[in-house]
Amino acid sequence: MPEQSKTEYQDLKAGQKFPPAAFQIDATTVSDYLKAVEEDNAIYQNTGLVPPMAVAALALKSLIGAISMPPGTIHVSQEFEFIDTVNTQDTLTSHASVNRIQERGKLHLISVDINVSNQEQKPVLSGKTSFILPVP
Amino acid sequence: MSTQVELKEGTSLPAVIKNIRQDNINLYAKASGDFNPIHIDADYARKTPLGGTVAHGMLILACVSQMMTNAFGRDWLSEGKLNVRFRAPARPGDVITVSGSIRHIEKGDGHQMVDCDVLCSNQNDEPVITGDAKVKVGDNENRS
Repeated sequence: MPEQSKTEYQDLKAGQKFPPAAFQIDATTVSDYLKAVEEDNAIYQNTGLVPPMAVAALALKSLIGAISMPPGTIHVSQEFEFIDTVNTQDTLTSHASVNRIQERGKLHLISVDINVSNQEQKPVLSGKTSFILPVP
Repeated sequence: MSTQVELKEGTSLPAVIKNIRQDNINLYAKASGDFNPIHIDADYARKTPLGGTVAHGMLILACVSQMMTNAFGRDWLSEGKLNVRFRAPARPGDVITVSGSIRHIEKGDGHQMVDCDVLCSNQNDEPVITGDAKVKVGDNENRS
């Protein structure tokens, strides 16, 4: 995944779109992911299927790469919809946009929509991630 | 693999129990690309209000997805929905129990929409993640 320039979170605006981020999930990445989460379900053994939460994690990686978040940022809630299976070697593209920004006292609540599609432009995952960040 | 649980309201999903270890957190950081020091740098984390490293919320959420995959097989991978809140951090040394049950089943045309409560709690019975998961299951699925 190429390096992205980061947007300071104070500069984010509702509706703001991030540049699309393309990524692939190869068998080694899946293997590393399965080892990390200690997932041993046979559905992933020699089938080429990618765990949907691995797709989600790498989509969030794109987002983390796009926003400069301060220490103290807390991931407070998460929604995901798994729309289609993903196989190793699929090329995925993540599209993210700021859904909402709210200031609550000394904290900001930021929600970001994420949509991931495959090389055929078919959606495979969508979600909404929400963070609380300290107001500077 | 198809549905492994009885499709009936109140049915418990097969629980998943995880010992949270720093080496898993480090592996997850590498696999996900999330190298926030709060997860992997003990010296840094000790000086924060959290007082030590914590697992990525997504690592714990992966255990919920694992439970749903164990229960509903491939349907979960292409017809699953998660909606959760992260209630408390999970720390190295914690034992996280992921549990769930079928709250409601709605019959559709050739399928059933199964709505589940999901919970991750630690060894002190404190909730770490709460929320719900939905999965669309075909009527011809095998059931145990």
